[in-house]
Amino acid sequence: MNQTDERGQQAPKQAIPPSMKRYFWRIAIFMIAYMAILIGGLSLKNSANPPEGIFAYALAILTALPICGVFWAVFRLLVEMEDEYQRFLVAKQIMIATAVTLCAATIWQFLNVYDLAQEGPQWLGVLWLVMFGIAGGIVRWRA
Amino acid sequence: MKNRLKVLRAERDWSQADLAERLKVSRQSVNAIETGKYDPSLPLAFKIAGLFDMAIEDIFLKE
Repeated sequence: MNQTDERGQQAPKQAIPPSMKRYFWRIAIFMIAYMAILIGGLSLKNSANPPEGIFAYALAILTALPICGVFWAVFRLLVEMEDEYQRFLVAKQIMIATAVTLCAATIWQFLNVYDLAQEGPQWLGVLWLVMFGIAGGIVRWRA
Repeated sequence: MKNRLKVLRAERDWSQADLAERLKVSRQSVNAIETGKYDPSLPLAFKIAGLFDMAIEDIFLKE
């Protein structure tokens, strides 16, 4: 949707920068790979002959790799962005996501130490990604 | 940091989008610089100064 500038005129729609196009492609590829590996991996795990030993380790790491790829795509976006102000906003987004995730992990860990939580911090990568998405909205709303 | 970007732009009857296109940045960048929410890097400040054919200190002012 075109935005209106301060003169009340319709600002021309800006083309999606090449860095963003690459980012969207990378995210799409990693998410498709993640879904395929996750579905296949869980099917194997729940099959009559689930993988054991080194194969189970390999399957677990293989499932995690596309998510690691998503992190790589986010940090590559930060490096490749052409527009310095947009890069500044993404840097803020990353810092907010990291700060909230680390605070949550720390609080969670001490709840665990004091026997108030059954398990220690888990799924921190997923929490970071969720926070990265939420922080994106906050940063751009305040921009 | 204060700046005279909005005045200089208005003198040339450029919209934010016009200036953004000339600087090869996003319109949001121009808006953020004009409103003082973001201070440009030195290379971008030089680019802005070059575009208006002025010195950086004549566009960006001390508080």
